[in-house]
Amino acid sequence: MEYMPNFKLHRPKSKDEAAQIKNESSDSLFVAGGTDMIVNVRRGIEQPHHLIDLSDIAEVKEISQDKSELVIGSGVTLNSLANSEKIKSDYPAIADAALSIAGSTHQQYGTVGGNLCLDTRCLFYNQSEWWRQSNDYCMKERGEICHVAPGGKRCFAAFSGDLAPAMLVYNAEVKIHGPNGVRQLALQDLYRNDGMNHLTLESNELIASIHLSNNLAGSPSKYEKARIRGSIDFPLAGAAVRLEKENNKIKDITVALTGVNPFPQIIKNTEAMIGMDINEKTLDLLRENVRKQAKPMKTTTVAPWYRRRVVGAIAKRLMHELSVE
Amino acid sequence: MNEIKPTSSIGIPKPLVDGPEKVTGKARYSADFIPSDCLVGRIFRSPVSHAEIMEVDISDALSLPGVKAVITGEETDEPYGVLPIARFEYPMARDKVRYKGEPVACVAAVDVETAQKAIDLIKFKYKELPAYYTSQDAMAEGAVNLHDHRPGNVERDVDFDLGDTDNGLTEADLIMEEKYNCAEIAQVQSEPHAAIAEYDSTREFLTVHASTQVPYYGHKMLAKVLKMKESQIRMIKPFVGGGFGCRTECLNIELICALVARAAKGTVRIVASREETFITHRGRPETDVEMKIGVKNDGTITAVDFKAIQRGGAYSGYGVVTILYSGGLMFGLYDLPAVRYRGLRILTNTPPPGAMRGHGITDVRYAFENLLDKVANKLGVDPIEIRRKNLLEGPKYETLNEMFINSYGLPECLDWVEEKSGWKSRKGNLGPNRGLGIACAHYPSGASKPVNWTGEPHATIHLKLDWDASITVLTGAPEIGQGSTTMATQCAAEVLGLDMSRFQSLTSDSKLTPKDNGSYSSRVTYMVGNASIDAAKNLKNILIEAAARKLEVKPEDIECLGEVYRAGSQDEGLSFPEVVQAALEGTGTITVKGNFDTLPESWGTKKYRGGAISGSMAYAYAAQVVEVSVDPDTAEITVEKVWAAQDVGKALNPLAVEGQIEGSVWMGMGQAISEGTKYVNGLGITNNMLDYRVPTIIESPPIDVGIIESVDPHGPFGAKEAGETSLVAFIPALTNAIADAVGVRPLDLPVTSDHLLELMENYKTREAAE
Repeated sequence: MEYMPNFKLHRPKSKDEAAQIKNESSDSLFVAGGTDMIVNVRRGIEQPHHLIDLSDIAEVKEISQDKSELVIGSGVTLNSLANSEKIKSDYPAIADAALSIAGSTHQQYGTVGGNLCLDTRCLFYNQSEWWRQSNDYCMKERGEICHVAPGGKRCFAAFSGDLAPAMLVYNAEVKIHGPNGVRQLALQDLYRNDGMNHLTLESNELIASIHLSNNLAGSPSKYEKARIRGSIDFPLAGAAVRLEKENNKIKDITVALTGVNPFPQIIKNTEAMIGMDINEKTLDLLRENVRKQAKPMKTTTVAPWYRRRVVGAIAKRLMHELSVE
Repeated sequence: MNEIKPTSSIGIPKPLVDGPEKVTGKARYSADFIPSDCLVGRIFRSPVSHAEIMEVDISDALSLPGVKAVITGEETDEPYGVLPIARFEYPMARDKVRYKGEPVACVAAVDVETAQKAIDLIKFKYKELPAYYTSQDAMAEGAVNLHDHRPGNVERDVDFDLGDTDNGLTEADLIMEEKYNCAEIAQVQSEPHAAIAEYDSTREFLTVHASTQVPYYGHKMLAKVLKMKESQIRMIKPFVGGGFGCRTECLNIELICALVARAAKGTVRIVASREETFITHRGRPETDVEMKIGVKNDGTITAVDFKAIQRGGAYSGYGVVTILYSGGLMFGLYDLPAVRYRGLRILTNTPPPGAMRGHGITDVRYAFENLLDKVANKLGVDPIEIRRKNLLEGPKYETLNEMFINSYGLPECLDWVEEKSGWKSRKGNLGPNRGLGIACAHYPSGASKPVNWTGEPHATIHLKLDWDASITVLTGAPEIGQGSTTMATQCAAEVLGLDMSRFQSLTSDSKLTPKDNGSYSSRVTYMVGNASIDAAKNLKNILIEAAARKLEVKPEDIECLGEVYRAGSQDEGLSFPEVVQAALEGTGTITVKGNFDTLPESWGTKKYRGGAISGSMAYAYAAQVVEVSVDPDTAEITVEKVWAAQDVGKALNPLAVEGQIEGSVWMGMGQAISEGTKYVNGLGITNNMLDYRVPTIIESPPIDVGIIESVDPHGPFGAKEAGETSLVAFIPALTNAIADAVGVRPLDLPVTSDHLLELMENYKTREAAE
């Protein structure tokens, strides 16, 4: 392991205090579970002078239900999320996703907000300082070029969070806390298709909570990811599928992906499938649709064509499983 | 009255004697030694793959406050290396750098941040040279030589033809051949490399703690490189978190640490990051194998003709031995009437590989067993039967390269896996995408000729007996988690008939324990075990004589029952402490010694140059059946079950043997399906535990271990190798099972899902076309 550089650690007790410290200290970063962030700090990818630890803020650690929605605090741990009876019964893909993140010890520390804000990943980026320096860095960090697509002007680092696709299929919204107060937006608008700057958050904003409407509570869903090992690995490709059926016809379907783009992606044109019979043909239709829209690049050691192939196979498999349950 | 009996320790499952320290966290590993005033050492590593060094300007780094020393390749002009015939590596590069990450300079400073700042101030000026990352590129016409004395970048060219291979191929009814590429892999042991060097400038005395499997070789190299007398150095190996061959030679980190400690006139600690541990490497080389087997219609092998090319990295390390093992160890498993081998060890601009678990044989055995399976399918012979057809014939088990084989449990291993896996009824009847595969392997129990041939015993053990009637086992055998200290204790306890609780142990401290060559090539149980038996017998003789004196009888009348020595069954006898008292009267504390030497008959063949490599006192044998399922959509491979039988001669500690065999399966599984280092322009891109994918416990299949005991006539209580053979067998058994499951045969390693899916899709396309 690389050594930990010096920084000042802050432990605010409230969102307001956290925002205030952030405003006052330039060159600062929020950290929640730290399971990914601290690795990046040790590697010199992030070099903060101030680290603002959000783990002491009690107000963001609750899962609560009111008449219209389920509210998940951004500081809820992945372990709590995976074990929540409400999540397991009403939003099963989210529980699947939480349980599939890294290893069980990471899940004790990692948080919902942290996983949604996970930095994009690339083989040429998630390396030591010596390594990146020896490779002239890259456009995502201190360098000029992209080693994945030399000559290109875009960064293709892959979004690799597991929760986002599972929440996207339930039309989740996020409440954002900032110096100018609170704003709420659709989860998909938290992201943009840019590996260098994939979050639409301002640097002094933080996610307070995630909101899931009761309208879709209980709508059947599943999440699965392809990975080489059954633990630890980030998704090579992951898919969440939510399917409602009636008389073996598709009543409602939403599919979202991770690991194959710089942002978690909702598959387009699934509404065209509504009303179709569920059979091998429609299953294949979904598979091909997913394969067409997924755009993995060489950001991992595993071949991009394989990841595209597999993400289609996963979506098809999940749709099939949901259709026979 | 209860019958008094000696206590037995052999063949009984025993927890490891150093287990409690490990599980309670009390065990101290090299990085845990942080003496007061300890400086932090950090290494400046080359950012380029191949270059002439123009200048290493350390002036700014030296003048930074808090920096105590900065050293470069100028610090020593003495090269090091494990093989006396191939010592041309320097602790820090001198004239040239030859791989990305090669040490160029080292800083010792008061803390890690200062050390890093100093590293950033070093100005490295160089002139780049063409770099070669594959064996083919390095061997190509006109390639620049990495080392002037290795023209064509060939480190070693091995060529032998024993028997009449051309004739054997002519007589064959069927000849099959395939080409295999086996990726370079690394050990990924849990403890990254670490060293602490304390230089006492008043006495000019150096003490080094290091995470090593070979403290003795380290000791010698420290003396050579620092130009000190060996007597001025104390080498200590504390607890070590695994080795698997990556620490089977002295590493640059130990040498650099000592050099910079001397320069700083103090104590320096260097703890390598995981990435630096990958760069230090000494894993298994990338190997290209061309394998050809000729058989009769009944499956009898008439000849084997094969070639191996190893990407040897920038320096030799164990390279010459590896490429020789790859040839010599083709013998000894089956009865082969003719074998031709060409082996090329090539120098490339990548980190140097080493002697990884399953040293030399793994990749060529993989190719052979994979191809033999294909041959069996082609002939319509059962894959187990084709192996039975080619067994060595006892009792002399002669091989063309004159191996010394006195025990051969392979037939029993085959019987065991065949029965336990339900092979006869289940093979071919598992349904789609599920299959069974078999493969066999063997491995030596230590090299009969040591690296440094000075005529000294192969192993020495001291047993110290004191007035407290306890026995201390003093052994230089490096305990690296494999259980060597437990094994040495068991052997001594068994001979003396005492419970193991009478024993304590001190290991691997050059000032206290006898010299030992180290933990590698599966030598320790065989050699150190025999030395321990010898020492215990010597001690027992002393105790018997003392008891005889005390009881006023002849020594031959004394019966040793462990805790009681008596002159006859009616005699109450003397308790062990009383015998000890009698033995120490007049002489004081006793230390006895036991030795082991190999027999000249086991020193290998003189039929070709390097034929001594693969000579051993005994060979362990394994047969393995693997059951897999393959997801037809994603080509994800699940190892459903493994039946692993290994002939270990005698399981001295069945618990430890089982652990070794299970560990072998896991490690083999990594190489087979997910592990492989990757480089981008010589820069290791998988040098961390996320991108270099070692299987986790989730991937661990149920493993049925079958211990076969052929009782080797020269082994300690009949024991042989237990820690490497089963790794070798797993890999081909797995690919053979995949071929059985999906109809396509993977050749290259690792069989990753993307690679397999491609094979499966091509196969489908081909089938559709036909």
